[in-house]
Amino acid sequence: MGSISARRLAKEYKELNSDECPVGIKLLQADDFETWIIAIEVLGETLYKDEKFALKFRFDPQYPISSPAVQFVVDEKYQAPLHPHVYSNGHICASILGEGWSPVLSVPAVCVTLQSMLASCKKKERPEGNDRYVRFAPDNPKKTKFMYDDDTV
Amino acid sequence: MFVLKAIEQPVQPSAVSHVDERSAPVEISENTGLSDLTPAQLYELNQSVLNDTVADRPLIAEIVPLTALRAEYEGGSQSFVKQIDYLAGLGYKGIRRTKGDGDCFYRSLAFTYIEQILHSPDQSLAVATAESLLDSSLPMLEAAGFQRMVVEDFYDVVVNLIRQVIVPEPNGTTLTPSLLLDAFQSTEVSNYVVVFMRLLTSAQIRTDPETYAPFLFNPETGEDIPPREFCERYVEAVGKEADHVQMTALTRALQTNINVAYLDGHSEDGKVNFVEFRGSAPEENENPPVLLYRPGHYDVLEKGSAEEGSTLA
Repeated sequence: MGSISARRLAKEYKELNSDECPVGIKLLQADDFETWIIAIEVLGETLYKDEKFALKFRFDPQYPISSPAVQFVVDEKYQAPLHPHVYSNGHICASILGEGWSPVLSVPAVCVTLQSMLASCKKKERPEGNDRYVRFAPDNPKKTKFMYDDDTV
Repeated sequence: MFVLKAIEQPVQPSAVSHVDERSAPVEISENTGLSDLTPAQLYELNQSVLNDTVADRPLIAEIVPLTALRAEYEGGSQSFVKQIDYLAGLGYKGIRRTKGDGDCFYRSLAFTYIEQILHSPDQSLAVATAESLLDSSLPMLEAAGFQRMVVEDFYDVVVNLIRQVIVPEPNGTTLTPSLLLDAFQSTEVSNYVVVFMRLLTSAQIRTDPETYAPFLFNPETGEDIPPREFCERYVEAVGKEADHVQMTALTRALQTNINVAYLDGHSEDGKVNFVEFRGSAPEENENPPVLLYRPGHYDVLEKGSAEEGSTLA
């Protein structure tokens, strides 16, 4: 891990553990600068009221020049939200996680964007072709080339 | 690799089929004038040039003689050859290539910006001027909505590099042309410098939207685009090539001047157009650095040859 990269993640870690941490976001696990798990819920009257999700962030040594690999955790405890941009394996189709990534974005900023993606959802459903995608999906969602048809995320 | 359409919302027709709507299909060859292309075709051309040149090249290279560039075109487009000869006739002897990764404009400009400080007759003054300019850019970056926590890492890398012109590192070395090249070839330092250039460009546009809004359009569709969206998608995002607007904004933010020689292969008499970007009063820098543009790519054009090192004009 590059030294500048580690310094940046250390600052984000601090922010997530402080009063500045956005509402509905909670750092669950961050044992190193490679993988973090973050709890996320959407507040207010939304289709996901009272549901809790977890996001897994994976960082490579070029972070934040290169985007983190971000997906919803799918295990005994958590499920991926039923959403037209979220596959059942937790992979997310959002441009900010791909070609729309910018080093000015951060872990809290990504969480907030995903919160608002969920909050604005009108119909709970899986993306078209979910089963086919999930069957062949790479482990790392960054290896998928998504087409972004929706400019809002 | 998967290519997926993830949502079922109707796709905006303008986002996919504008090429057919705007003009009849044009077969693109080296002789196609760039002005004949639609914005989308230009964008695709640029991206394909980028993809072709990304292989294991250094982020920015040593100067090579202009004849090396000429040799690449000798079997192909004669109009490019003529234009290269024209540049040679003006006294340009070398080219410093940058990697075609979409960051080439920002990397070239940043390199020449620091190189000028390094070659300044009064280095202390040049460093102090640059430092105070960059320092005064911080409020603009904050006004543009960038968190200080995010900006400072990129800022520090640039300022430390500039300071090193006069302040020795712990190992006793000040910046030399060869160390500057090393820094710009190291992925971490080089890309951090590029990001800071992008942030300055973006902040300049975001904090002065009235000036820039009339010139902002989506490079893929040619449609108008609001400043904030333009900045997020085409300035701050890594690897997105700069166009006229970004170049204007960055030279203004840095209060620096550059000339760009357009090697576009469609000049009848082999002449090369130079476009001046003036971010400061011309008398402060009568011979600004020159970038060499070829469709989709920027390199640095040098009056010095490889043997003379990086002597500035």
